[in-house]
Amino acid sequence: MKETKQVSAKRRRFVNNTIVHVVLAILAVIWVFPILWVVLTSFRAEKGSYVSTFLPKSYTFANYARLFTDTTILNFPRMFANTLFIAICSCILSTFYVLAVSYCLSRIKFKMRKPYMNMAMVLGLFPGFMSMVAVYFILKALGLSEGGLIRLALILCYSGGAGLGFQIAKGFFDTIPRAIDEAAIIDGCTKWQIFYKITLPLSKPVIIYTILTSFIGPWVDFIFAKVICRANADYYTVAIGLWRMLEKEYIDSWYTCFAAGAVLISIPIAILFMFLQRFYVDGMSGAVKG
Amino acid sequence: MSKHAKERNRRSACFRNRKPRERTEQVMKRCAAILMAAVTASAVILGGCSGSGSSAGQGGVQHVRLMVWAPSEDQSVDSGQWLQKSCEAFASQHPEYDIEFVYGVADEATAATQVAQDPEASADVFMYANDNITVLTNAKAAAKFGGIYKDEIEKTSSKAIVDSLKVDDYLYGVPFTTNTWYMFYDKSVFSEEDVKSLDAMLEKGVVSFPFTNSWYLPAFYIANGCTLFGDGTDESAGVDFAGEKAEVITDYLIDLMNNPNFVVDADGSGMAGLRDGSIKAIFTGSWDAGSIKEILGDNMGVAALPTFNLNGEEKQMMAYAGSKAIGVNATSDNMLPAIQLAVYLGSADAQKLHYELRNVVPCNTELLAQPEIASDMLVAAQNDTFDRTSILQPFVAGMANCWTPVENMGKGIRNKTVTHENSAQQTQAMSDAMNSDGIS
Repeated sequence: MKETKQVSAKRRRFVNNTIVHVVLAILAVIWVFPILWVVLTSFRAEKGSYVSTFLPKSYTFANYARLFTDTTILNFPRMFANTLFIAICSCILSTFYVLAVSYCLSRIKFKMRKPYMNMAMVLGLFPGFMSMVAVYFILKALGLSEGGLIRLALILCYSGGAGLGFQIAKGFFDTIPRAIDEAAIIDGCTKWQIFYKITLPLSKPVIIYTILTSFIGPWVDFIFAKVICRANADYYTVAIGLWRMLEKEYIDSWYTCFAAGAVLISIPIAILFMFLQRFYVDGMSGAVKG
Repeated sequence: MSKHAKERNRRSACFRNRKPRERTEQVMKRCAAILMAAVTASAVILGGCSGSGSSAGQGGVQHVRLMVWAPSEDQSVDSGQWLQKSCEAFASQHPEYDIEFVYGVADEATAATQVAQDPEASADVFMYANDNITVLTNAKAAAKFGGIYKDEIEKTSSKAIVDSLKVDDYLYGVPFTTNTWYMFYDKSVFSEEDVKSLDAMLEKGVVSFPFTNSWYLPAFYIANGCTLFGDGTDESAGVDFAGEKAEVITDYLIDLMNNPNFVVDADGSGMAGLRDGSIKAIFTGSWDAGSIKEILGDNMGVAALPTFNLNGEEKQMMAYAGSKAIGVNATSDNMLPAIQLAVYLGSADAQKLHYELRNVVPCNTELLAQPEIASDMLVAAQNDTFDRTSILQPFVAGMANCWTPVENMGKGIRNKTVTHENSAQQTQAMSDAMNSDGIS
C-alpha cells in the first residue's frame, strides 16, 4: 500500500516536471527566437532586407568586416567609440550620483528629505524625453551643441538626472544596520568616511546593479543622441547609426550589416552582465540579513 | 550567529584592512583633484567659445563661415566627394570671399525638419525634398530667392519643377533633381511595347507593386480622375477620392490583387524577388537603381509608369512627383554668399558632376539636352515620369491626413477585408478620412 503511493507520487512528479519543462522550453524558444534571427541575419550572405527563408542560404563574415571597413558613408567604428566613451563617462558619473544621493537619503536626516523624495517620485513618473526640447536649448545656449562638446553634452544629459533614481540603492542602504555607522562614528569616522569605508564595501551588489543600469541607459539611448547630434555626423552614436542603416537609401545594402551592428552593440552589455551577474542577483535580493 | 556577533566580526574586519583603505583614500583624493581640474578646464573651453560670423579681412577679402548640410554620400570619399569638390570650385570662383566650409550630414528627407526645429543652429545651405517646403516656410526658415538668382533658376529649369518650390509665388530653393518613382523591369521578359501596359506585363511575368505604401497606391486613383486639393495647391478644395470613379478603382485593385502574377512589394520583398528571379518588374526610384543594376545587369530596363485597362479603357497611372532643392537658411549671417553657393550647387556644372559621381538625375534643361545624358535610360525614365505620368505631390498641410487612409485601403485589399461587396462603402470611408484631420 505504502509502496504504490510512493510510486504514484513519483510518477505524478515526473509528469508535472515534464509538462513544466515542455512549457518552459516552448517559451524559451519563443523568447530566444528574435535574437537568434538577428544573429543569423548578421551572418547572412544574401543581400537585401527581405528573405523568403528563415535560415540564410549561405553564411559570411563580410557583414562584420564591412561595418569596420566601409566607413565613408556610415562610420560605425567611430560611432562605436563615441558611444563607448559617452557610456563609460556617464556610467561613472551617474553611479556616483546615485550612490551619494541614496546614502544621504538613507542616513542623514534633514528637513528637505521627505519633500525631496516625494518630488523625485513625482518627477520620475514623467518620461525623460519630455524635457528634450528644453534640454536642447539649454545646451545650445551653453554652446555645447556643436563640435566635440556634443560628447560632453550627451554625458551631462545621461548623468544629470541620475540622482532621481535613488530608490533601489536607498532601499539597500536602509537594510545596512545603523549600528555599524554608529560604531564607525565612535571610532572617529566622518560621514564621508563611513560612506566609502563602511557602506560601500558592504554594498557591492547594489553598486554593481547601479553600474549596469547606468551603463545600459546611454549605451542604447536614441532620442537624446538624435536631438543633440543633429547634423554632426562625427559625433553620432551607434543608435543613430543603426537607425540610419534602415533608411530608404541604405536598407537594401546595409540591412545585414545592421544586424551585425546590433549583435556587436550587445557584446559590451553581455560581457558586463556576465561578469557582474552573480552580484546582480544578490543585489536584488536585499542586503545584510540578521 | 547572532546579529551582534556578525556585526562585531565585520567591525574587526574593518580594522584588519586598514592599510588598503588608506590607499583608497589617497586615490580618491587624487580623483577629486582630477575632477576639479576637468571642471575648470571645461569652464575655460566654454568661455573660449565665440560666435561665428563674417569679418572683413585684409585686402577687402571677406571671411565667411558657411555651414553646408548634405547627405553623407555627397561627402564620402567612395562616391567622389561631390559636396567638397563643388564647394571648393565655388570658392575658387569667388576670390572676394575667404570661405571656411563646415560640412554636416542631413539627407534631403529630414533636413527641412531639422532646419525648421532650430534655424539659428542649422546650416546656411542645405538640401531638402520639396514635400517639406511648408515645414520650412511655416518656421520662416527658408530664404526667398529673387532678382538675378531667381531669373537664373527659372531660365535653366522647367516650369513644373520651379513651381514645385514656390509657395505663394515666392521661390524657396534651387532645384537639382526630380524626386519620383517609376518602373524597373527585366528586359529579357518584357519588350518595350509590353511595358506601356500593366495588363500586357501581367500576362508575361510577375509584377510587384508597393500596394500597401501610400506614396504609390494613389497612382491608380489619380489615373481615373481623383484629385487632391484641386490642382494640388487649393487646400479648401479638399480631397476627391470618392464616388464612382474611385469605387471602380477599388474594385479594379481587388481584382488586381487576385491576379497570380501580381505580388505586393512590402519590406523589401520586391527587391528580394528581383534578386532570386521570382519577380520581373518593380516600382521604385533612383535610390534603388544601383542595386537593381547589380541584379539585372544589362537586362535592366527603366520606364515611366504603364497604363492599365479599366473596364475596356486605358488609364495612365500617375505617380506623386516632387523635386529636391538646395535651400538657404533665412537666418544665415552670410546671406549673399549662401545664396550664391546654393545657386552654384544647383548649376549645370554641379549637376553634371553630381550625375557623374552619384548618378543623381539632373534637371537642368541645358544638361538634359546633351545627348550623352539624354540617352541615359534612368534619366529618360525619371524625366518622362515627371513630365508625363505624374502629378505634383501637394504640399498643403491637409496632405498630412492623406497617407494613413490610403495605406489602410491597400492593407484592407491585401487582407481581403475590402471586398467587392463593401468596396463602395470602404472607398467612401477612405475619402472621408483623407478629408478629416481626425479631430473635428
